[in-house]
Amino acid sequence: MTPDEIAAAWSGWSAGPAPSGDAGDPARVDETFGTLTVDVPAGRWVDALRFARDDLGCGFFDWLTGVDELADGLGVVAHVYSLESGHHLLVRTRVPRAEPVLATATGVYRGANWHERETYEMFGVIFDGHPDLKPLLLPDGFEGHPLRKDFVLAARVAKPWPGALEPGESGAGAPSRRRLRPPGVPADWGRSGR
Amino acid sequence: MGVTDLPEPRIGTLSRVAPRPIKFILNWGRRYSLWVFNFGLACCAIEFIATSMSRHDFIRLGVIPFAPGPRQADLMVVSGTVTDKMAPAIKRLYEQMPEPKYVISFGACSNCGGPYWDSYCVTKGVDQIIPVDVYVPGCPPRPEALLHGIVRLQQKIAAESLGERYLTGDGDGHSREPVAPAPPPRPMEATVLRRPLRPPPPSLPEVLREADQPTERLPRMGTLPLPAAPDEQPPPADPGGGSTQELPRLDDDGYPEDGIIDLSIVPGFDDPDEDYQDGDYQDGDGGGEDGGEGRR
Repeated sequence: MTPDEIAAAWSGWSAGPAPSGDAGDPARVDETFGTLTVDVPAGRWVDALRFARDDLGCGFFDWLTGVDELADGLGVVAHVYSLESGHHLLVRTRVPRAEPVLATATGVYRGANWHERETYEMFGVIFDGHPDLKPLLLPDGFEGHPLRKDFVLAARVAKPWPGALEPGESGAGAPSRRRLRPPGVPADWGRSGR
Repeated sequence: MGVTDLPEPRIGTLSRVAPRPIKFILNWGRRYSLWVFNFGLACCAIEFIATSMSRHDFIRLGVIPFAPGPRQADLMVVSGTVTDKMAPAIKRLYEQMPEPKYVISFGACSNCGGPYWDSYCVTKGVDQIIPVDVYVPGCPPRPEALLHGIVRLQQKIAAESLGERYLTGDGDGHSREPVAPAPPPRPMEATVLRRPLRPPPPSLPEVLREADQPTERLPRMGTLPLPAAPDEQPPPADPGGGSTQELPRLDDDGYPEDGIIDLSIVPGFDDPDEDYQDGDYQDGDGGGEDGGEGRR
């Protein structure tokens, strides 16, 4: 299918009946970074994936992940692929940061199971209806969602960098060491004067 | 699940109260039989494997990479990025190793976290969970760096006293001083850490010309007298004889201090310019061995 045909198919999908009754915005098709991208409302997320699988022939589920869009909420992106004709597209939606709940895609693509578990632990997106939503990769007892942009990476504050950034900076007290605090770390963390 | 704490593994009493010469012998045997266990976690493990293969070949230093597991190993080389989730496994496998045991931290990641310093999941150095004897810096370090770290570890083993290593608190009468003073850092031969370049093979026409000659005599082997060499140049230095050549002093990087890499110190190496100057290939391999009596 050419991109124009896919865009036309998505406009037809937007005009169709929404099964959950929450029509939302119509699907928006554009091209980001050379890939055809479809933005769908969160209420029709599973419906959009089923449409991509059944009507567009994208039977191969590649990956699913999240994006921290700061004030705009949390994005969830899935990449699906058609093994028969070779076209592929990104399906994208967005959930509010205050209540990041999205219907699970495991009913459409079973392979989304672990991807949703990883997105759940890394971004805190709760996939409603997931069969076994528990952390996948992080060690036991890990607190927080480390791929959110407000997650503080406190490593350099907790333990100073033992080496030198540039040749000749071997001694302590180089002026650029003050900048070693990563973004997001409060200014009063760590040792005084650093 | 019930867990029973086994007693902490100890070294034998004999090796602790042994007299000093016996300790020296024990250290000497221990340092040259290091069964190594490669805890390969990332790309540094490839450099470890390269060090164990034929070019760098750390078996010649007494490091044996065939330990079937940590229970049969003396040395663990942690090479790669240690994550917080892998850290309990490293500690568990380290505890399975028999005493005395040594750890080399290989590469920037296992030294201090390396380029993943900021990560939420990377341990800031394997020394936060197990004691480390030798750190090898680099990202990844070259195989020569691991060889150097092994040599340093062997120096450390030669100087240590196991009674002191395993004594906790303030001791109970055992000798505190090391068994032997650590050997001073010596200028290493050029072939210890870095293999010499091999002389180029003879070019094809010369080989063919040599093969075309009628075989009137036996193949030259050993000390058979040779036909007179057409040139009267002095014989090259005999590597097996008593004449020893002074090695050039090396700087910290292993290069000669004067910047000239003189390959004539390598036994068996002949300068190709000397051999091929008359266009005839005389010495088959290593002209040094038929140096003395074959030529007049």
